[in-house]
Amino acid sequence: MANQMTELLKGTLEGIVLSLLAERPAYGYEITAQLREQGFTDLVEGTVYAVLVRIEQRGFVDVERVTSEKGPPRKVYSLNARGRAQLDEFWTAWSFLADRINQLHKGKESS
Amino acid sequence: MSNWIEVLTGSLEQKRQYREYKARLKALPEPYASAAKAIDRYVMYYGGLTDGDTMVRLLTDHIELWERAATDATPLREIVGDDPVDFAETFIRAYSGTQWIDKERARLVKAIDDAERETLR
Repeated sequence: MANQMTELLKGTLEGIVLSLLAERPAYGYEITAQLREQGFTDLVEGTVYAVLVRIEQRGFVDVERVTSEKGPPRKVYSLNARGRAQLDEFWTAWSFLADRINQLHKGKESS
Repeated sequence: MSNWIEVLTGSLEQKRQYREYKARLKALPEPYASAAKAIDRYVMYYGGLTDGDTMVRLLTDHIELWERAATDATPLREIVGDDPVDFAETFIRAYSGTQWIDKERARLVKAIDDAERETLR
């Protein structure tokens, strides 16, 4: 079960992170903490970090380095125009998938 | 293992950045130093990056991740998860620089295209 959840989450995590960043800019740990509060308790910081690296490399976010009292500066990520377009595409794909899967689920229940 | 060192010989600036990266790697406290070195090794084998700029970018992000983790005392498993291989590979794949495998990918795509054209003829 945990494994299936991990696999499903993998495909959607980028969209989830983009949608969180659409609300407000954040740094890695904040995003992980937010997702954990929302019930993704198994999610580790490294996984979110890898998603952030990916969306940065693909140009979906702007990055600002904010100095912190201790250690290296924190990178604060904010969604840019390309990221917003990507997020729109994600929601379109998600709505389609969710709709189809719900149909399958309903079909099973009524038979 | 030496292939990608040669990639870096192109630029003195990259060499300097690489030396700095190695020094930062050494300076990490345990258990972060061991973990970072293990991932560093895997990156060299799996990454197959042939582009020095991309490699430097990847390594800089990598060392920053561990320096941050060491400062925050983030548990090791919080970074690499249950599956360190998956973590390392996901991380590397984010960098779309030229990889040795890219040539083979292009070759495969072309071979299938050509084969398809043969049957259409």
